[in-house]
Amino acid sequence: MSVPDYMQCAEDHQTLLVVVQPVGIVSEENFFRIYKRISSVSQISVRDSQRALYIRYRHHYPPENSEWGDFQTHRKVVGLITITDCFSAKDWPQIFEKFHVQKEIYGSTLYDSRLFVFGLQGEIAEQPRTDVAFYPSYEDCATVEKRIEDFVESLFIVLESKRLDRATDKSGDKIPLLCVPFEKKDFVGLDTDSRHYKKRCQGRMRKHVGDLCLQAGMLQDSLVHYHMSVELLRSVNDFLWLGAALEGLCSASVIYHYPGGTGGKAGARRFPGSALPAEAANRHRPGALTTNGINADTSTEIGRAKNCLSPEDIIEKYKEAISYYSKYKNAGVIELEACVKAVRVLAIQKRSMEASEFLQNAVYINLRQLSEEEKIQRYSILSELYELIGFHRKSAFFKRVAAMQCVAPSISEPGWRACYKLLLETLPGYSLSLDPQDFNKGTHRGWAAVQMRLLHELVYASRRMGNPALSVRHLSFLLQTMLDFLSDQEKKDVTQSLENYTSKCPGTMELLTLPDGLTLPPVPFTKLPIVRRVKLLDLPASLRPQKMKSSLGPSVSAKSPFIYSPIIAHSRGEERSKKIDFQWVQGDVCEVQLMVYNPMPFELRVENMGLLTSGVEFESLPAALSLPAESGLYPVTLVGVPQTTGTITVSGYHTTVFGVFSDCLLDSLPGIKTSGSTVEVIPALPRLQISTSLPRSAHSLQPSSGDKISTNVSVQLYNGETQQLVVRLENIGMEPLEKLEVTSKILTTKEKLYGDFLSWKLEDTLAQFPLQPGKVATFTISIKVKLDFSCQENLLQDLSDDGISVSGFPLCSPFRQVVRPRVESKPVNAAEGGRPGEPCHVKTLEAVLNFKYSGGPGHVEGYYRNLALGLHVEVEPSVFFTRVSTLPATSTRQCHLLLDVFNATEHELSVGARSDEELILHAGECQRMAIQVDKFNFESFPESPADKGQFANSKHLEEERQEARGLEINSKLDIHWTIPSLKRTGEASVEGLLNQLVLEHLQLAPLLWDVLVDGQPCDCQAAACRVGDPVRLEVRLTNRSPRSVGPFALSVVPFQDHQNGVHSYDLRHAVSFVGSGTFYLDKVQPSGQAACLGALLFLYTGDFFLHIRFHEDGPSKELPPSWFCLPSVHVRALEAQA
Amino acid sequence: MAVCVAVIAKENYPLYIRSIPTENELKFHYMVHTSLDVVDEKISAMGKALVDQRELYLGLLYPTEDYKVYGYVTNSKVKFVMVVDSSNTALRDNEIRSMFRKLHNSYTDVMCNPFYNPGDRIQSRAFDGMVTSMMIQVC
Repeated sequence: MSVPDYMQCAEDHQTLLVVVQPVGIVSEENFFRIYKRISSVSQISVRDSQRALYIRYRHHYPPENSEWGDFQTHRKVVGLITITDCFSAKDWPQIFEKFHVQKEIYGSTLYDSRLFVFGLQGEIAEQPRTDVAFYPSYEDCATVEKRIEDFVESLFIVLESKRLDRATDKSGDKIPLLCVPFEKKDFVGLDTDSRHYKKRCQGRMRKHVGDLCLQAGMLQDSLVHYHMSVELLRSVNDFLWLGAALEGLCSASVIYHYPGGTGGKAGARRFPGSALPAEAANRHRPGALTTNGINADTSTEIGRAKNCLSPEDIIEKYKEAISYYSKYKNAGVIELEACVKAVRVLAIQKRSMEASEFLQNAVYINLRQLSEEEKIQRYSILSELYELIGFHRKSAFFKRVAAMQCVAPSISEPGWRACYKLLLETLPGYSLSLDPQDFNKGTHRGWAAVQMRLLHELVYASRRMGNPALSVRHLSFLLQTMLDFLSDQEKKDVTQSLENYTSKCPGTMELLTLPDGLTLPPVPFTKLPIVRRVKLLDLPASLRPQKMKSSLGPSVSAKSPFIYSPIIAHSRGEERSKKIDFQWVQGDVCEVQLMVYNPMPFELRVENMGLLTSGVEFESLPAALSLPAESGLYPVTLVGVPQTTGTITVSGYHTTVFGVFSDCLLDSLPGIKTSGSTVEVIPALPRLQISTSLPRSAHSLQPSSGDKISTNVSVQLYNGETQQLVVRLENIGMEPLEKLEVTSKILTTKEKLYGDFLSWKLEDTLAQFPLQPGKVATFTISIKVKLDFSCQENLLQDLSDDGISVSGFPLCSPFRQVVRPRVESKPVNAAEGGRPGEPCHVKTLEAVLNFKYSGGPGHVEGYYRNLALGLHVEVEPSVFFTRVSTLPATSTRQCHLLLDVFNATEHELSVGARSDEELILHAGECQRMAIQVDKFNFESFPESPADKGQFANSKHLEEERQEARGLEINSKLDIHWTIPSLKRTGEASVEGLLNQLVLEHLQLAPLLWDVLVDGQPCDCQAAACRVGDPVRLEVRLTNRSPRSVGPFALSVVPFQDHQNGVHSYDLRHAVSFVGSGTFYLDKVQPSGQAACLGALLFLYTGDFFLHIRFHEDGPSKELPPSWFCLPSVHVRALEAQA
Repeated sequence: MAVCVAVIAKENYPLYIRSIPTENELKFHYMVHTSLDVVDEKISAMGKALVDQRELYLGLLYPTEDYKVYGYVTNSKVKFVMVVDSSNTALRDNEIRSMFRKLHNSYTDVMCNPFYNPGDRIQSRAFDGMVTSMMIQVC
C-alpha cells in the first residue's frame, strides 16, 4: 500500500471497487468510450432488497493496494471487467488466455469478472457464456449497461453471502485474525489463545463486518458494528484497527449526514442523475433497519440516533483515527487519505480553520520517497483542497509548487506544458488577471514581488513550451503592469529578453487563445512611453481654411436668441471639449502633438508611431523616435493625411516598442490630458506658394499684427522711391486655384505716409486663372514710399517767418545759393537728437498682403485660405526740405517756392522739379532751390469735407483741407531726385512741410486784382506806351470770397527804380495823372466784379513803375493783407512816334 | 525577535513588508501572502463577536518548519503579520502581543501624518526604525 488515492472521500467506504481494463490492443478512444458507459452504472438498487449498491470503477489500480482489502474493504478489487478487440476466431483463445492472466492478478479478492469482446462475430460469439459478452462493434453494444447491472448484481450476491457468513460465524470457535500486510510478521509466534488475542480478532472482524454492511447498503448495521468494534479494539490497544473502526464510523455518519456526497465533483459524477439517486439513497437508508431480512447482530442496537455521530463528533473521531494511524509509519497512505477525507467533510461543514489544520498535518505526512509525478499529484491535490476550503492563496502557493515540480531538474522530460497550465491556474490566487485593462485604475495594489515572480515563471514556461507568442505576451504584460516595481537592472533585463523574443516572434495586438480556452488580451504599452497630453494641431496659418461669410448669415448660432448667456456658454464649453473649433483639410498633412515621457532608465526607441483614427479615411504617416533616458515631457508630432471628408476622431496611437506592436486607445489611458479629439475635415483646397522678387527677411512683423505671416520679405528704399514687387504664385496643391483676392494692411501708423504705399492690378493675374496644379502666375505690386520730407517742424516754423519777411522787393535772381556747411546744421540735429523723428533716422514701414484664395471642392463648400505676406520696408532718407518759403514772383498770379534741399544720402544726388534744370547736391549738402509756381486756386476744389462737416470738427476739417492742398501743390511741383551712382530715382514731396503761412502765399487771394494798361493785362511784362499819350489804367477786382468787400480807395504811386536801390518817387514832372490819382471801388458782392478806370500820361521816356496802394482806412483792415496784393505795374514809356 | 514584519491593507495588499534575511525576501512574501487566508478566515469567524469585545490579536496563524506566523488585525481591518523564528522559544504569546501593540501604535502615528496618503506604501522613517528595533531586540 504505497500509492495514495487523493481523490478519496468518505462515501468511497460504501462502494465496491471494480477494475475495468483493456486486454490486447484496444484503442484508448474506444476503451474510454466503453469505460464511460460502464461508469455510468455506479448505483444499483438491488432487486430483492431495497438497498442501494455503489460501484467505484477504476481503470488502473495497483494490485498491492488490494492487499489492504481486509483492513478497509472498499480498497479491495471485487470485480474485473476486461475489454478487448477480437476480429477473428483464431485470436480468440489467445484473448481468453489473457483474460485469465488478468484475473490472476487480482485473483485473491475478486468476486466475479467479465470479458467484453468487441468485433468478433461467428460461432464463438453465438455460444452463451455468463462471463463473456460479445459485441460486433463499439457502436453496436446497446446492452453494455444491462450486462453491467447483471454483473453488479452477481457481485452483490457474493458480497451479501460474505457479509452473512462473517456476521454470523461469531459463534464459531475460531475467528481468524485479519491483518494488514505489514503486520503479518509481527504476529508470528503470538499466543493465539489469549483473551487479548481473541478480543483483537473479534474487534477486527467486527470492523470488517461493519465495512461489508456499509458496502451492502446497511448503514445502520454498519454503525452498530463499528461501535462495537471500537469498544473491543480500544480495550486491547489495537490502534491501527481502532483508527480504521473510527474512520469507518465517521464514514458511515458522513454518508448519513451528507447524502449529497463530500467529494465535490467526484460525488456529482457518481450520481449522474443528480439529486434523484441521492434522494433514492436517502429513502433506502432508513429502510435498512427495518427491511433487512437477514438478522444480523442487531440485538445490541442502541438506536440509530445514538449510533450515528454528530457532525462535530465526526471531526473528533477523524482526529482520533488519524492520531492512531500516525503511530504507524507504514500506514502513511491511510493517514493521508483519512486527512483528505476529513478535509472534504470539513469543507462541507465550512470549518476552514480546522480543515487547514488537517491539511497542514497532511503536508507533513512523510511517505516513502515519492516519484516526481506523485509529488506533483500531491501538491495539486493539496492546492485543490485548499481551494475547497477557501484558502485561495495557499492553494495558489501549492499549485505553483506543483508547477515547479513539473519541471524539476531531476525530471528527464520536463512538462513545461503542464507547468504552464498549473501556473495559469494560480493567477486568481495571486489576484492577478492577465487583462491589462484591470491595471489602468490608479496605482497597482498587490503583491508585486510575488506577482512579478509568477509572471517571470509564466514567461519562462511559455518559452520552454515553444510558444514564443505567449512568452512575448506575458513579458509585455510584466513590463506594462509591473513597471513601477521593477528595478533599473530588472527593466534592462526584461526589455533585453523581450527584444530577444520579439526578434523571432513580434508581439501583436491580437487576442491569444490558449488550447484550454483561456484568452490572453493584448497588452498595449501605454507606459512605454507614457503619454501625458494629446493635442490636435491646427493647420499652419497659411493653410488654415476659413469659411466665407455668407450674406444669409448662417454663422449666427440659431441655438439661442441671446448673444450671451452664461448657461449656454457652459454647455457649449462641454461640447467644445469634444469637438475642436478648427478644421483639417482633406489631402493636407495634419498634425497631432503628444507630450511623451520615457520612464525607462535607458534610451527608448519607439518605432512606427502613428495615429489611430475613426470616422474618416486617414493615411497615417508613422514616425520613429528615440527618447532619452528618463526624459522629461517630450513633444512628439504625429502626422497623417485625411483622404476623405467628414468628422475625424483621433482615438489613439500605435507604437512598436521592443518589437511589440501596441494600439493605445486614449480612452483607456489614465491621467491623460486632451483638448478634444474630434475635428472636422473639409474638402480639399488648393495650396498656394508665394515667392517674390525681394529677398526673404528674418524680420518678424510687430506682434500686434494679429495675422499669421507665412513669409516675410524686406526691401530697402530711399524716401520717395518706387519699387516693383513681383510675386510668383505657384499652385503646389492638387486642386485648381480658382479665386484670388488680395488685400493689404499697413501696420505702421506712426509715420505719416503720403500717396498709395502699395498698389497693384489684379486683372492681369486673374486672367491666368484658374491656375492648375503646378502652374505659376505672377502678380506685380508697386511699393511707393513717400514719407515726410520735412526736416523739423519747429525749425521750419522759424524759417518760414523769415520767409515771409522776404517780401517787399522781388529778387532779380531767384536762385540764391546758400552753401550750408554741415557743421552748421549739426547743432540743430543735436538739439533734436533725442527724438525718434530725427531726420537721419532710418524708418521702417510694415505691411501685410493677404492673398485669399480658393478652388476645388473646398471652394464649393465655401472655404478659402489666406496666405499672408509680410512686407518690411526700410526707408532711408533721400532728401530733406529743411526750409520752405515763398517769394512773390513778378506776377501776382505766380510766386516762387523756395526750398532748402538737404541731401541726406551718402551719394551725390540731383534734384529737379518739373522740367527745370537739375540741382546737384553732394552728400550732406544743402542748397536752396526755387520753383516758380502758379498760385493755386484752392477754392475751386470740391468742398468734399463739407458734407462730413457735421461730425468732423473744424480742426480736423482744416487739416484735411490742408492735406488736399498739399497734394495739389505737390502734383504741380513734381519734384524728383536721382542718385546717379546707384541709378535710383524717386520723388520728393512737399506735402508735409507746407504750413499755413506758406499756403497762404501760394494761394490765389480771394480778391483778384487785375491791372490793365491800355486794356492789356499787365503782370510781369513791362507795358509799353508812348510819351505823351495818355495811358489807360484799369483796376479790376473780382471777388471770389464768400462775402462782399469794399468799398476801397486806391492810390497809384509811380516811381522809378534806379537799379541801385534808389527809388525815386518824385516824379511830378515826369508823370501826370489824367483825372484823379485815387481810384474808388464800390462794394463788391461775392463773385461780383468791379472796375475803376483812370489814366496816366508819361511825359518822358523811361521805365516807370506804378505802385498801387490802398488807403489805410475802412474795412480793409479786417481782411488779410495778402488779399490786397496787387501786381506792380511796369510801364515803359517810349519815344513818341514822330 | 521577528524575522519579518508586514502591514497589509484592508484590501489585502502590502503596505509595508520587511524581512531580515533580505536575500530570501520572496520566501517571506509568499509566507505572509499565504497567511492571509488564515487571517481572513479568522476575521470572518470573529465577525460575529461584538465589536468592542473583539480581540485584535489573532494569535498563531500557522507554524511552518522554521517559522511561526502571528497575526493581528486592527478595527479598520489592517493586518499586521509577524514571522518569528520557531527556534526562539523565549518568545511567548505575551511578548508577541506587546510587539503587535507597539507596531499598532507606530502605525497609528503614521496614519496621523497629514502627508501620508492612506493606501500608499509606508515609507515613514520612524516606523521603519521601530520595525528594525523589533527585529533586532531579543525579547
